Amino acid sequence: MDISQEPDRAPVKRDKRLGERVRDVVQTRAFLLVSIAVVFVALLVLARFQGVSGERLLSLAAWGIMLGGIIGLGSIGLTLVYGVLKFPNFSHGALVTLGAYFTFAFLAWLPQSEPLRPLSFGWEFPVALVLSMPLVGLVAVAVDRAVYRRLRRQNAHLVLFAMASLAMAFFLRSIIYIAWGPDFHFYFPGRANPALELPLNIRVRADQLFILVLALMLMLGVYVLLERTRIGKAMRATADNPELAQVRGINTERVIAWTWLLGGALAAAGGTMYGLSSQLRPEMGFWLLLPMFAAAIMGGIGNPYGALAGALIIGITHQVSTAFLDPTYGPAVAFVLMVIVLLVRPQGLFGRGGG
Amino acid sequence: MPLLKAEGITAGYGDTDILHDVHLEVNDGEIVSLIGPNGAGKSTLMKAVFGLIHPRQGSIRFRDKEIAGRSPYDIVKEGMCYVPQVANVFVQLTAEENLEMGGYLLDERLLPERKERVYELFPKLRERRHQRVGKMSGGERQMVAIGSALMLEPELLLLDEPSAGLSPKLVDEIFDNIHHINETGLAVLMVEQNARKSLAMATRGYVLASGQNRVDGTGQALLDDPEVGRLYLGG
Repeated sequence: MDISQEPDRAPVKRDKRLGERVRDVVQTRAFLLVSIAVVFVALLVLARFQGVSGERLLSLAAWGIMLGGIIGLGSIGLTLVYGVLKFPNFSHGALVTLGAYFTFAFLAWLPQSEPLRPLSFGWEFPVALVLSMPLVGLVAVAVDRAVYRRLRRQNAHLVLFAMASLAMAFFLRSIIYIAWGPDFHFYFPGRANPALELPLNIRVRADQLFILVLALMLMLGVYVLLERTRIGKAMRATADNPELAQVRGINTERVIAWTWLLGGALAAAGGTMYGLSSQLRPEMGFWLLLPMFAAAIMGGIGNPYGALAGALIIGITHQVSTAFLDPTYGPAVAFVLMVIVLLVRPQGLFGRGGG
Repeated sequence: MPLLKAEGITAGYGDTDILHDVHLEVNDGEIVSLIGPNGAGKSTLMKAVFGLIHPRQGSIRFRDKEIAGRSPYDIVKEGMCYVPQVANVFVQLTAEENLEMGGYLLDERLLPERKERVYELFPKLRERRHQRVGKMSGGERQMVAIGSALMLEPELLLLDEPSAGLSPKLVDEIFDNIHHINETGLAVLMVEQNARKSLAMATRGYVLASGQNRVDGTGQALLDDPEVGRLYLGG
């Protein structure tokens, strides 16, 4: 992703009135939705041609919603931080990974209980998650205090913030390598988690349902926080107009700290769920970074609800594509969707401006 | 003791000074109008008073307490509220949420009563309180902006061009509102392009040009001054 390029500056000669008219149509929200739908339908048609059954596609879509939930939890933090601080935080993926490993560490420390069948884990897992979330939030606040706040005080250019966050991404990942090594880890190695048979022949594991329910609950929590509480409204106000927020008596530094805390905690939840659904690797968050950015951009960067919608679209498309594509091409699907959004409507589905 | 007293203010952006040794005073219950040509430094002076830029030299005292160099969110606690000229509302928030942000420092239990007072002053806002401010007209936005600044019930209200960009009818309405707000005991310091109208309403006025004080006097005296009329009120 090249953030410095401004394609509008290209000295292209064209019939301005016709060009403007075409652009007006192309840039509408409806056109973007149609474009995404076309990609999605094309995937479905391709899958049917390859002889993939309808039931399998439905199961994949169900997994896609779950994956969308995981991506969504990460991209909400990404988009909130962007909204308030206006820079793309490339170290957000590292926070996701850190959350997964903190949960792993807490699990080793907590007493093991019997698995809550049909789930693959016992009570210690939600407890470890609840401990890991605020801890990653605090790490995010500490990084802000140590690095980004200094840059803010110097009125540094936004590119510097982005570069600093990239450096933090490598720094945090190195710490994870040092602490836990480069090998795969499982939360509960060797434990069975058979798929449940749901109506319509949908096959999902109980753990996946747990992930979905938890993601929905956390998102509901974010909604209540942003719409109903004073600090949540102050976050939206600060994202809207930081200078006016100060004039109205809002301590914006405190709002920024709360934003990091929230973003970090949600990233930790996303990372833990991702770890539960597959395995823990030091790069897991780094690979989630692209779909998270794609989701945030698709929803209109700065808009948490848009990020969630974008995450669901990407999660489902990603999973459905695995019906006939090798799963390693998954990130390419997210990338294609992101490019479509950037070309058609750079402000995203719910961004400001346009129809 | 004046409510606000600024002395010897030298301030600007980066290395460029815009204000040079400026002074200004607002007493209890006054309307003070700040006029002058574009680029005279009127808005800069407002920003310096409110801590959005920190003066290089000089003192700003509010109720005899030094406030120069403090942050806006800190200054607002002293009993002074500010309505910037542009971007003075949160466009993504509803009218009611804007008012709540205006009362961010208040005990939450006080909010309903304060909102009610703003709605009494601007009945239109009550009808549209759940509307996003980004979708409102210029006049309504200005009401939201002024209403938000009244939520803390300040002693001094700073208005930077409250009538900018409004139709003549709305300009009169906003001026009426300011007059009404002042009658409830609030002192007002305002920058205005509609210099004649604002001087006619003002207790006192200051003419600023090229970042320096030119003429001070009562509103009427400035209106009657032939030189002020010729140079700054357009003949």
